[in-house]
Amino acid sequence: MRWFGFGFNAFGQICVQEKSGRGESSSAPHQVKISHPAELSSHVDRSRCCLKTSQIRVSWSRRASLHLEGDSCLSLAGFGESVSSEDCGISKIESRGCKDVFISESHLTLAFPDRIETWDLQKREKSPSWSMDIKTDAEGSDVNLPLVPGGYIALKPPFYCTLPGHLKARSLALGAEHAVLLTATGAVYSWGLGSHGQLGHGGLTSEEEPRVVEALWGMPMTHVATGGWHSACISDGGDLYVWGWNESGQLGLPSRGLRKSQQKTSQQTGELCCDTSTPPDEKLKEEEEHEDVFISIQAFPALLDVSSSCEIRAVSCGSRHTAAVTTTGDLYTWGWGEYGQLGHQTVTSSDEPQRVEFFRAEQMRVLDVVCGTWNTFAAAVKEEVACAENSTKCTC
Amino acid sequence: MASLWSKISPVLPANEDQFPLKFSDKVELSVVEMLQQSRKQLYGDITSSSRLLNAQIILDISWEKLNTGTWRHVDKEWRRVYSYGCLFKVAALCCESPSEDKILEAVRTCDMGLIMGAAIMGDILQVIVRILQSHIRTLSSTKEEDESEHAEVKRIKIESPLVSAIKEESAVLRIKCPSLESFKTNFLLPLKPVILEGIIDHWPAFNKHPWSIEYLRSVAGCRTVPVEVGSRYTDEDWSQTLLTVNEFIDRYVLNKDGVKALGYLAQHQLFDQIPELKDDIRLPDYCCLGEGDEEDITVNAWFGPGGTVSPLHQDPQQNFLAQVVGSKYIRLYSPEDTGKLYPHQSQLLHNTSQVQVENPDAERFPEFARAPYLECVLQPGDVLFIPVRHWHYVRSLELSFSVSFWWS
Repeated sequence: MRWFGFGFNAFGQICVQEKSGRGESSSAPHQVKISHPAELSSHVDRSRCCLKTSQIRVSWSRRASLHLEGDSCLSLAGFGESVSSEDCGISKIESRGCKDVFISESHLTLAFPDRIETWDLQKREKSPSWSMDIKTDAEGSDVNLPLVPGGYIALKPPFYCTLPGHLKARSLALGAEHAVLLTATGAVYSWGLGSHGQLGHGGLTSEEEPRVVEALWGMPMTHVATGGWHSACISDGGDLYVWGWNESGQLGLPSRGLRKSQQKTSQQTGELCCDTSTPPDEKLKEEEEHEDVFISIQAFPALLDVSSSCEIRAVSCGSRHTAAVTTTGDLYTWGWGEYGQLGHQTVTSSDEPQRVEFFRAEQMRVLDVVCGTWNTFAAAVKEEVACAENSTKCTC
Repeated sequence: MASLWSKISPVLPANEDQFPLKFSDKVELSVVEMLQQSRKQLYGDITSSSRLLNAQIILDISWEKLNTGTWRHVDKEWRRVYSYGCLFKVAALCCESPSEDKILEAVRTCDMGLIMGAAIMGDILQVIVRILQSHIRTLSSTKEEDESEHAEVKRIKIESPLVSAIKEESAVLRIKCPSLESFKTNFLLPLKPVILEGIIDHWPAFNKHPWSIEYLRSVAGCRTVPVEVGSRYTDEDWSQTLLTVNEFIDRYVLNKDGVKALGYLAQHQLFDQIPELKDDIRLPDYCCLGEGDEEDITVNAWFGPGGTVSPLHQDPQQNFLAQVVGSKYIRLYSPEDTGKLYPHQSQLLHNTSQVQVENPDAERFPEFARAPYLECVLQPGDVLFIPVRHWHYVRSLELSFSVSFWWS
């Protein structure tokens, strides 16, 4: 499985420029915007073995890669992490044996079989800011960060927050100011600030305690994701639901703010405008002719047709964009794209899901997607490898 | 003529070492790194486009922080970061003999920093926007539109509908230049509305710099301000947008592009943003009768065409509403009669009545017709005292500019 990244790269969290071998410090700045999927270089450990990346977690300025083969460990890229040929790049934090990781801009949480540790990335101390022991029980892991036994780890101190036991939490997505929880029975709960409709209860009020998203009641969900001000979930039938703020088209619904700024851009001569979908003239005409309905806040979950007759298997959200993987191995992105995080070789935003053509062109099948604040990472395999596994195909 | 950069550069610190970048640990080190990079670029030989790119990163990340949580709780540090982003962007725009468009973009950027950010480096954005405005003035020729615009405004004035005559028994009392003591005894303490006449005649806005469309254009035309679009803020299609004062006047006052919607420059602290206008007004003396500090008095501008409506609502502070240009119809209801005014239930709008005052739905709001009220037409030179929590409804009858003072 190979990982590819695109979008914000000011800290080299996707890839770094080739150094001239002069040592760690580099005056050459990283390419800030990567709009075309770039393959992540393999991680090399102390014994010069190439480690496969099993999972990725991303914050604004960093990428944490989890290598679960053998002696599992973590590697960090991005802000504060130098990558040179001498240094194997493993963080000073001892991560051998960790099974799961959760990263925010200020903290890194590691889950080991017997304990959880949260480290302060700003302070570089010798011991974690917080930790808790966990019982290794036969039932299987209660740990699916940020979920931990009895509750979850928040983005800032005090880290440990309890959750009502009856909820039987299966996975938890934490946005900057809200949280969406998936239970073992497929029910969705949300809490936190609701001013942009991101809780999905139909209003703009906040919730202090987990409250069930009634509009989804009765439809079992399998995945939940949160962005800065929006949320998404996938039903067991492969349908994608979205809700929250749509100021950059991150819900895949018509966005007035987006159309307005696109008009402005196309009117300015000499400005970069790589919007290749509809020619600017046609867009203007469309607006004049139709009384378009724009949605800036979607306070109830809405079903989003990513691509007709395709089922969604994975979804992830950046602060203002969304990415989804279909069961047929295609990656679709939409929302804010000014750092190239949509992967269409442009730096424009889109309020319509568009397929990232790169993977089809390379005959690759996308299996998973993880979004950072302003970037996107996709795990893909060559089509022949995928064919070897029995997978259903549909005609999209 | 001196280049723009030669006017701006002296206002900036002499070198990197003298350029402060101190933040609390609320601002993550990665963001500080970006700020330090921008500072370095400011004094280095870096292309404008690189510097714009870096400044934009700072603006984008701080914008996200500013939109996280409620505005009241946004950490001031992030507003400072946003202002630094604006500063670096302005410097990048102005360093290479910028076109007029770039200069206007720089002005807009300063305004975004002034509106959404927090003062940095001795309010440097305020200093720079002044330099930019005066530079623009030396570039542009005198506009000959003045004549036709004057006629345009006059025409609009005549066409606006007036209200039916105010009945004496429901008229707000008028009193000319009362003493502090008599105002306090007769109106402030009993919380009774009154129109104070003659107390703002000395304002430069009436004498030295009479406020008019031409004057506002000259002093603030290229400045960006928040504008409310839509009939009233309780409507579904109400929204807020940012426009320059010129754009606002063209589109919503003079209707140059045939737009049908109403636009209102409402509840904006314009006088903090544009000090020249602040010099044209004075704090009413009667504010000293309150317990609060002078610095805590909120001064707002209310500028718009005829027909703008503020739905019936109440505010948690005392209010002096000073009328400078044009006239407004205002109706007042006592907080005692709140029961007949059907406030919205939601937290967001609980200070606003559901009733459309000049077209009430008698079926949904039967008690409303029985609520006693006072009304008036506020004219230039009048100051209406709206006691704390007194319900008030406002409709402009023509092009209007009011200044409100919220005090305690």
